[in-house]
Amino acid sequence: MKTTFDTQSIELNPSGENYAAILDGKTVSVHIVRAANGRMDLLIDGQRVIAHVSSDMARRWVTVNGRTILLTKTSGAKQGIRRDHAGGLIAPMPGLIRSVAVGVGDVVKKGQTLLTMEAMKMEIRIQALKDGKVSALHVAQGQTVEREQILAEVE
Amino acid sequence: MFNKVLIANRGEIAIRIMRACRELGVRTVAVYSEADKNAQHTQLADEAVFIGNAPPKESYLNADVLIQSALDSQADAVHPGYGFLSENASFAAGVESAGLTFIGPSADSIRAMGDKAESKILMKKSGVPTVPGYEGLETFADFKNAAKDIGYPVLVKAAAGGGGKGMRVVNEESELKEAMELARSEAQNAFGDERLLVEKYIADAHHVEIQVFGDKHGNLVHLFERECSAQRRHQKIIEESPSPLLTPELRAQMGQAAINAAKAINYHNAGTVEFILDSSPSSPLRHGSGQAFILHPSSFYFLEMNTRLQVEHPVTELVTGLDLVHWQMRVAAGEKFPFAQNDLHQHGHAIECRVYAEDPANGFLPSVGRLLQFIPPQGPGIRVDSGFAAGDEVTHHYDPLLAKLIVHAGSRAEAIRRMKTALDDFIVHGVITNIDYMRAALETDDFKQGNVSTRWVETKFGEWTPPQPDLRSLIAAALADVVFVGGRAQPAVSNETDPFNPWKGTGNYRN
Repeated sequence: MKTTFDTQSIELNPSGENYAAILDGKTVSVHIVRAANGRMDLLIDGQRVIAHVSSDMARRWVTVNGRTILLTKTSGAKQGIRRDHAGGLIAPMPGLIRSVAVGVGDVVKKGQTLLTMEAMKMEIRIQALKDGKVSALHVAQGQTVEREQILAEVE
Repeated sequence: MFNKVLIANRGEIAIRIMRACRELGVRTVAVYSEADKNAQHTQLADEAVFIGNAPPKESYLNADVLIQSALDSQADAVHPGYGFLSENASFAAGVESAGLTFIGPSADSIRAMGDKAESKILMKKSGVPTVPGYEGLETFADFKNAAKDIGYPVLVKAAAGGGGKGMRVVNEESELKEAMELARSEAQNAFGDERLLVEKYIADAHHVEIQVFGDKHGNLVHLFERECSAQRRHQKIIEESPSPLLTPELRAQMGQAAINAAKAINYHNAGTVEFILDSSPSSPLRHGSGQAFILHPSSFYFLEMNTRLQVEHPVTELVTGLDLVHWQMRVAAGEKFPFAQNDLHQHGHAIECRVYAEDPANGFLPSVGRLLQFIPPQGPGIRVDSGFAAGDEVTHHYDPLLAKLIVHAGSRAEAIRRMKTALDDFIVHGVITNIDYMRAALETDDFKQGNVSTRWVETKFGEWTPPQPDLRSLIAAALADVVFVGGRAQPAVSNETDPFNPWKGTGNYRN
């Protein structure tokens, strides 16, 4: 099974009692010692690793060895957002829609700004995660949105 | 001792005060806004009173409602904590005239230190060293002459101010007019008072403050210093005691100056006298005995006095072994403080890191959200004062302080190592924090050598970048999807009854 976080892809395949993880063409063996409540004790190529992982829609909070990383899942079979909104763009925090730059049916490029939000006195650009076509637009300029509200969808 | 205390505050400090109350057998009344109806401090008190909407003006800053709540719940004292109304003289007076005890100094003491210009004049009279400068000036010509006399760079700042608002550094005369206009309008907006004062700008300054403590019987001592120079945007992030800069002689001088400052306003209860310490190459600190210094008899200057408990009070508690909140309550109830200055000593070294929900890589913008995991560190010499638990919402209504992490060890080097380990063990998911940032700051040579001035974070530590994903974090992230949600589920993780499982929190997650 292949998963992409931001721009890095990793493949994870069951292999007997363990998993084989493939990243950048390199394969490592992963054994789960125990896993509960967001904490995983692992053996990665024989080395003990304690990882804390939390899921927050498409985002993954990961702490390994005291360093906390925030990853965004951009593809994979188990997408952290509803399947019918796999191309959905969500509000990262509550705020106000300041402008909408596209309409339904517009063809967009990955990274293109679709709309801008204002939240906590800063401007946030909501950008296309992939090339595609705007299939739905759920908000209008001036509208207040909640955190994780789906703003637009790209197919 | 009191029977029941109303705590006119929220978050970690409300919980800290409640703990002291419980230890002393005193019942507690919490107050809460609409946003805090399920907050930890609301839950932990013996009673909780709803006081209004989320914006502080409509709840935690509403003096009348707070005093009425105290009367209605039959409390006999009010503890203001820090921030909010803690340094509001009319609140303190209102509490007392309602027949309740204000756990803090008198309203007169608060008023005397509330105005920067007037307190500075008072300090000069009392022999407390102040930054060379002028107050009470009106015309631009007066300011121009004063600045010339002091020598550039100078600082113009709001007479009524605090917290870095209404403050401008002026490097040369041509900048003075505009800086004054900006400072004036900021001062007018923030404090409703456009008066300014002008003083020498000390570029390479350390912020060192002295904790003072007094009872209502005239006893007044100092509880040594806290070094609070690691700041971002005038907000402290790391504090410690002892200061790596102070010699025993300088400590004794500053302690005495702080006592003089407190005596000048008949102070009782806990208070903090803030000083700036000139650590520039021309400062006597750099010349050992101070014989090279001519301009001013000392290298430390009175900045302001905080007439309340400080955020960083645990640092002092760990090195002195005193519980400041216990003693605040005991002296407010009329007890004598039993320790003389010679009875008090600093033991070992304590450091505090303020864990904020903010993004250091993005201008320290506050980060809001639900705490998916919140696991504070544990171990010898580790203390965590926090107002949050996993599952709680961090909102934009209040200060983004998640927790204060305080460590105590035998030496400064040991305390730094202990703090780094504790930061490693502190797991916070759901909001971005400054944990990694603070650990990186502790690891610099400047910090290890005690060379961190108040502008260090902005000028020397700007190039920090957050940790990048590595092989192990990517494996963990990918594996978690499989292990915790469907896929090849492991028996150990099918914990369906746990409502705080971070893998179940977000509504329609499961697919």
